[in-house]
Amino acid sequence: MRGQNDRKAATSDRFGVGPSALSRFVQTPYAGALVSILLVSVYLAASEPVFATWANLMNIIKSNSVVFILALGATYVVISGAIDLSVASLAAACSMVYGLILTAGLPAIPAIVLIVAFGALLGALNGYFIAYLKISFLVVTLGTLSIYQSFALILNSGTSISVYSMAAFKPLYAFVNGSAGPIPMILIFDVALLLILGGALKYTGFGRAVFAIGSNREAARLNGINVPLVIFGVFTIAGVMAGLGALVQAGRLTSAAADVDPTILMTVLAAVLIGGTAFTGGEGGVFGTMIGVLFLGVIQNGLTLSGVSSFWQGMVSGAILIAAVWVGGVRQISRRKKQSVKP
Amino acid sequence: MSRGDVIIEVKGVTKRFPGVRALDRVDLTIRAGEVHALTGENGSGKSTLARVIAGMHQPDEGQIIVDGAEMRFANPADAIGMGIVMISQELTLAPTLTVAENIFLGRLPKTRFGTINWPQLDLDAVVALDRLDVHVSTRARVADLSVEVRQEVEIARALSSGARLIILDEATSSLSEAATARLLALVRKERDKGTAVLMITHRMPEIYAAASVATVLRDGVLVAEVPLPATRQDKLVRLMVGREILDFYGKRAVAAGETVLEAENLSTLDGTLLPASFTLRRGEILGVAGLVGSGKAELGMTLGGAIASQGVVRIAGRRVRLGEPRHSIAAGIGFVPDDRKASALLLVRSVRENFALAWLDRLARGGILDTRREAREASEAMTRYQVAAGSASVPISTLSGGNQQKVVLGRILARKPSVLVLSEPTRGIDVGAKSQIYRLLQDAADEGAGVIMISSELTELLGIADRIAVFFEGELRGIFDARTTDEATLAHVAVSGARPNQTPDAIKTGVTA
Repeated sequence: MRGQNDRKAATSDRFGVGPSALSRFVQTPYAGALVSILLVSVYLAASEPVFATWANLMNIIKSNSVVFILALGATYVVISGAIDLSVASLAAACSMVYGLILTAGLPAIPAIVLIVAFGALLGALNGYFIAYLKISFLVVTLGTLSIYQSFALILNSGTSISVYSMAAFKPLYAFVNGSAGPIPMILIFDVALLLILGGALKYTGFGRAVFAIGSNREAARLNGINVPLVIFGVFTIAGVMAGLGALVQAGRLTSAAADVDPTILMTVLAAVLIGGTAFTGGEGGVFGTMIGVLFLGVIQNGLTLSGVSSFWQGMVSGAILIAAVWVGGVRQISRRKKQSVKP
Repeated sequence: MSRGDVIIEVKGVTKRFPGVRALDRVDLTIRAGEVHALTGENGSGKSTLARVIAGMHQPDEGQIIVDGAEMRFANPADAIGMGIVMISQELTLAPTLTVAENIFLGRLPKTRFGTINWPQLDLDAVVALDRLDVHVSTRARVADLSVEVRQEVEIARALSSGARLIILDEATSSLSEAATARLLALVRKERDKGTAVLMITHRMPEIYAAASVATVLRDGVLVAEVPLPATRQDKLVRLMVGREILDFYGKRAVAAGETVLEAENLSTLDGTLLPASFTLRRGEILGVAGLVGSGKAELGMTLGGAIASQGVVRIAGRRVRLGEPRHSIAAGIGFVPDDRKASALLLVRSVRENFALAWLDRLARGGILDTRREAREASEAMTRYQVAAGSASVPISTLSGGNQQKVVLGRILARKPSVLVLSEPTRGIDVGAKSQIYRLLQDAADEGAGVIMISSELTELLGIADRIAVFFEGELRGIFDARTTDEATLAHVAVSGARPNQTPDAIKTGVTA
């Protein structure tokens, strides 16, 4: 093992370039998930003829959009070194408020804007408690997980609101379920979000501050970063994404529902982790998260197509999560060993 | 094993780190019942050698022979298994556990049912502490103990685990005089029982108080092994230094300019730093000395805005808002904290991002980062500050301590602060990097910055500073002219808190005491 690394180092020295493109790819934390997606896809394409059809692939995209949107926000939170347990409840609260304001007769666009703002508000509330009152993110988001969920249930006594027949719902419905030629609108929307959030993470001072805080909060503070403000911002972004997720969910289900799918939080966090964003903070990115979502989506789709009972799906995705993080951890340890040369 | 038997033999050990050969074919023989002093200047490689023996570093060449058989220690646990235990400044106790639990951590006595046998543990701990004549409750939480007592607990742990060779790595550097004397007495007692002790220090009194043989290293090379006390102190010092100190720190014409910083009754809220007043001129290097807990570290953190404080600080006449780093930075104070890993580095991020961390406000326009400019400036800074790294995109954790420190220092220097505050900037780095860092500080002063350098190394302060402020128990006890004072005077004030009027060569510039 050691000899191999030495040889590798010697080769790259000789050619005067850094590590090769291949070894750089192997080093990326989501490489394993990406290769696995390809392998699983090839297998499914061969064994289940339906899998490789355009309709099925777009179905994977559509049915995982909500998870994807929530996971984008969660990626920011996890990179900053925290976790937001409340996102699913937050989305449920947004969803119920959406149903109520449509019932109350608010027009389409103001309703959408209001829901995004409401998501931002609930996220900001999380952020305020964590960043300024300095309460642990686990405590705060565990608390708001119950509070937001309960709030959603109280709003309409636990019953969902069908918005299908409301005129103000039509534009959202048309957008979420529409398509531009063969491309679903929701895919375009997802890609746009990916580019915006990915770009902001990589090319803004704010994004850099998120990484810095996740990597070493004290170093970030001592170098002039306004740590509480950035953390507040990160949770607010998670809230905005939950608001958007709630709107997409409502668009797909044609109703506002107060009961959250309890597995969605797990799926969101699993996707973030499989995508190579470390729970220890300071590392990762939204592209990896996209890979993570796709990976879980393809597996789930494959299981459904193969006729495996849905009861088994949790077992499979749970095992994949542990395996993926284990593989990532092993790789990280071997990388650290290789680099432990400090006096 | 009886006295005089060779316990461990180091033969031709070489250890390289990126950019520096820390050890070059070094030999060392340690015998049972012997206190062996390993000495040399900072950066001479003495700690590296100790770490090799203790299994923390693996030698690139050479052999380590224990009881006549060659050993390869993959980690400290291997060395501990052979009875070799290192006790360093960085204590390795679990602070929330009790004294007894710490002494027997990992080998707690068990009952028949596999649960912990608490009465037995207590008894064993009392025996282990009695052996050292240490009087502390076995049930005290380690976090509540003083540094001295913690060190003694650590020694008790080493001895009760059957250590045959105890390595004390600068173990006295944070101890008071009385505690040092106690530790040395303890070392002699264990020696008489047949334990071997390797004592790493450059403090002459300690060497002569306990050791019977001294090995001197310089720049990673074995200079001599001499018997003690037969070898006279001046000869030992000559062996250690072996060159002109002035070259090491770099000569600098003192041309101090107008006052850049005024501090009035600056203090922390928790009393670790009592109201201190002093001034600093442009082009001046003010050294700050004192023991651990003297308030010198808090002075740096206060100026850097890292901790809550009160009092008045003016930079070029303008009052600074205290208590938040970003206000200090905006006022033109550049602060380099003492603990690189805990409070300066983004370990998992690249060298480039670590540089840019201090420049984000300047690299971003309307929130958007100019990544091209970032890359350009980072690579320029790597050249300017002589950072040895494969590229700017490697993780900073792959760099040596010295190169990491050059990044930390470089990113602050690049902002051209009016006042530079550095806390232990050369701690734990090799001799080559140290010299470069001194050079960078001199250059910063020459360009008109006021420099405050907080350090535990008096020799270093005497070599680089123009004036030296000494703190004792939170209080600024005096400011001395570095040209006319000496190590003994400074150490006397730092250890005993003697007032400057009891020491003739004090300059009472702005001292309120």
